[in-house]
Amino acid sequence: MATLNQQARKKMWAFLALGTFVGLLFLPLFLSLPAGASGTSAPTAQAAADAKPVEKSRDVWFKTEGPVVGAPAPKTTDGPKDYPRYNFESRVLLWVANQQHLYYGSFVLAVPIFCLVVEYLGIITKDKALARKYDQLSYDFIKISLTAYSLTAILGGILVFTYLTLYPSFFGYLASIFRPVMHTYALLFVAESGTLYIYYYGWEKMREGFLKWVHLSMAVLLNVIGTVLMFLANSWIAFMQSPAGVDAEGRYLGNIWHVIHTTLWNPINVHRILGNMAFGGGVVAAYAAYRFLTAKTDEERAHYDWMGYVAMFIGVCFLIPLPFAGYWLMREVYAYRQQMGITLMGGLLAWLFIIQAVMIGTLFLTTNYYLWQGMERMRGAERYQKYIKYMVFVLITCFIVWLTPHTMVMTPAELKAMGGQQHPVLGNYGVMSAKNGAINVIITTTVLSFIMFQRGNKVPVVKWAPLGDAALVGLFAMAYINIIWLAIYGYYIPANVRVGLSVPQVATTLSCLFIGVTLNSIMLNGAKELGPTVWGQVSVRSQYALIMLATAFTWMMGLMGYIRSSVRLFWHVNEIMRDNSPWAFTHTIGFAANMISFNVLFFWATIMFVFWLGSLGVKKVPATAPMGQKAPVPVGSH
Amino acid sequence: MAEQGSQQENQITTGKKAVIMIGSLVAAAVYFTFLDWALMDMQGLDYFYLFRK
Repeated sequence: MATLNQQARKKMWAFLALGTFVGLLFLPLFLSLPAGASGTSAPTAQAAADAKPVEKSRDVWFKTEGPVVGAPAPKTTDGPKDYPRYNFESRVLLWVANQQHLYYGSFVLAVPIFCLVVEYLGIITKDKALARKYDQLSYDFIKISLTAYSLTAILGGILVFTYLTLYPSFFGYLASIFRPVMHTYALLFVAESGTLYIYYYGWEKMREGFLKWVHLSMAVLLNVIGTVLMFLANSWIAFMQSPAGVDAEGRYLGNIWHVIHTTLWNPINVHRILGNMAFGGGVVAAYAAYRFLTAKTDEERAHYDWMGYVAMFIGVCFLIPLPFAGYWLMREVYAYRQQMGITLMGGLLAWLFIIQAVMIGTLFLTTNYYLWQGMERMRGAERYQKYIKYMVFVLITCFIVWLTPHTMVMTPAELKAMGGQQHPVLGNYGVMSAKNGAINVIITTTVLSFIMFQRGNKVPVVKWAPLGDAALVGLFAMAYINIIWLAIYGYYIPANVRVGLSVPQVATTLSCLFIGVTLNSIMLNGAKELGPTVWGQVSVRSQYALIMLATAFTWMMGLMGYIRSSVRLFWHVNEIMRDNSPWAFTHTIGFAANMISFNVLFFWATIMFVFWLGSLGVKKVPATAPMGQKAPVPVGSH
Repeated sequence: MAEQGSQQENQITTGKKAVIMIGSLVAAAVYFTFLDWALMDMQGLDYFYLFRK
C-alpha cells in the first residue's frame, strides 16, 4: 500500500513538474499579446491617444502603418559615449564572446535532441540489454551537456556584459525594441534550466514504466523550450540583417511579431537547427573517438566505437539537408536585397564561400571515408570494397568542381595570359549550375555509401529482393543522370529559369535519400547475416575521421557566422543604424581565418575540459556484447 | 530443404533480370522527368523552356 502511495506521489510530482514547464512554455504566447508586447497597458495607451494624436509611420519591410512607440535608432559617433573601449579592437572581443557562446549554445541545444532520440529508442526496443545500453548512452550524453550548459550560461553573461560595456548605444537600441522578447528569453532560460535538472536528476527515479514516459516527455519539453529560445535569439540577428517592424528611422511601430518575424528569421531558424544538430553530432562523435583512442580494454573500445557511430549517424542525418537549408537562406537573402546576396556570393565575401565549399566537401569526403572504414567491422562487407575507388573518383571530381572559383585574383599579366577574368575551360565550373550539380552528386554518393554500409554484412532474402535491387540501381542511376542533366541544361536557359532547376535537383537527391534508404531497410528485414558486426574492431583512422569531422563542423560554423554577420558591412542594423566605430570595415580573409581558427582552438580546449570533467564521474563502461559476438546496432543501420 | 526451395524461387533468369532492370530504369526516368516538370511548374517556370523556344 505504501509503495502504491509512493508511486502515486511520484506520478503527481512528475505531472506537476511537467505541467509547470508546459505552462512556462506558453509564456511567449501570452507576452506576444498586444498589451504584453507593447510594454504599455491598453487603458494607458487609450488615454495617451485621447490626449494627443498618435504619430503613424510605415514599416520598412511589411509596409504596414503603425503607431510610433519607440525612439529612432541612435546616430552614434566615434567616442567614449557610444563606443567605450580598451586599447584593443572591441569588435574582436565581441566576436570571441559571441562565437564561444554560440558554440556552447549549439552544443547544449543539440545534445538533448540526441538524448530524446536515444532514450526513445531505449523505450521502444524489446531487447532489454540493448534498451539499457541506449538508456545509458542517453544519460552519458546529457551528463556531458550539463557541464557545458553552465559554461553556456557563463558565456552568455560575458556576451551581454561585452555588449553593454563596449557597444552601449547599439545594445540599448536593440533592447528597447526587443524588451518583451528578452524578458521572455530570460524566463524561458529558467524553464530550460529547471527542466534540464529534473530531466537529469530524475533519471533514476523515473526509470521504469509510466514514469519513464513522463521522463521522455520532459525531454520533449526540454527540446521545445530550447528551440523556442534559439528562435528568439535568432530574431535579434535576423532583425539586424533584415529589419522589420520599425520605420526608416528605426522607430518601433508597436508590433512585436513584425520585429521577430523578419524575412530571414525562418530560413535562419531552419539552418541553425540543422547546423546545431550536425555540430552536436560531430562534437559527441569526437568525444567518443577520443575515448576510443584512449581506451584500455576491448570492451571500452566497442562501447565508444558504437557511441561514435550513433552520434555520427545522427549528425550526418542533419548534415545532408543542411546545404539545402543554406541555399534557401541565400535565396531569401537575394530576395531581400540583391546587393547583399552579391556581396556574399559574388563580391567582397565570395572567397570566403570558396573556403566554405572546401569545408563542405571535406565534411562529405570524411563522412564517406568513415563509412567505408566502418565496413571493416563487418564480415562480408569486402564485396563492396571494389566500388569504393569509383566513388572516390566521383567525389573528388565533384569536390573540385564544387570549389572552383568564379573569378581568380590575378596580376594584369596573368589576366592577359588567361584571356580574361575567367579561365576558358575551368571558368565554366565556377557557376552555380555546375556547383549545384556537384554538391547533389556528392550527397547522393554519400547516401549510396550509407546504403552499402547498411548492407555490409547482410544479404536480403525477401522474395522480391531482385526487384528491389533493380529498383535501387534504377533509382540511383537515373538520379545521377537527372542531376547532371539539370546542371548542363542550366547553361542553355536564362538565369530566371535556371535558378528554379535547383529545386528538382534537390528533390532528386532527397528521393534517393528517402526512397533508397527506406527501400533498402525494408529489404534488409530478416536478412541473412554473413558475419557479425564487431564493434571496436575498426581502424584508428576512422576515429581520426570523426575528430576531423567535428573540427570541420566547428571551423565552418565560425566561418559562416562571420560571413552572415559581416555582410551587414558598416551597419549595426542594416540600413537603419550605422556602425560609426573605427572597426566598421571588413577584415582581410587572412585575419578572419585566423580569428575563426582561434575560436575553434579555444572551443576545443575548453570542451576538452568539459569532457575531462565528465570522465571523472564515469565509473565503468556499461555492459556490451563481448568481442566477436553480435552487438546491438542503432536505428537505420544494418 | 525449405530454404533451398526458397532460393530456387528467388533465382531469376538473366533475361528476366534485364527486363526488370530496364523497367526499373524507365520507371525512374519517368519519375524524375515528372518531378522536374512538376517542381518547375510549381515555381511558375517552364521546364521545357529550351525546347519550346
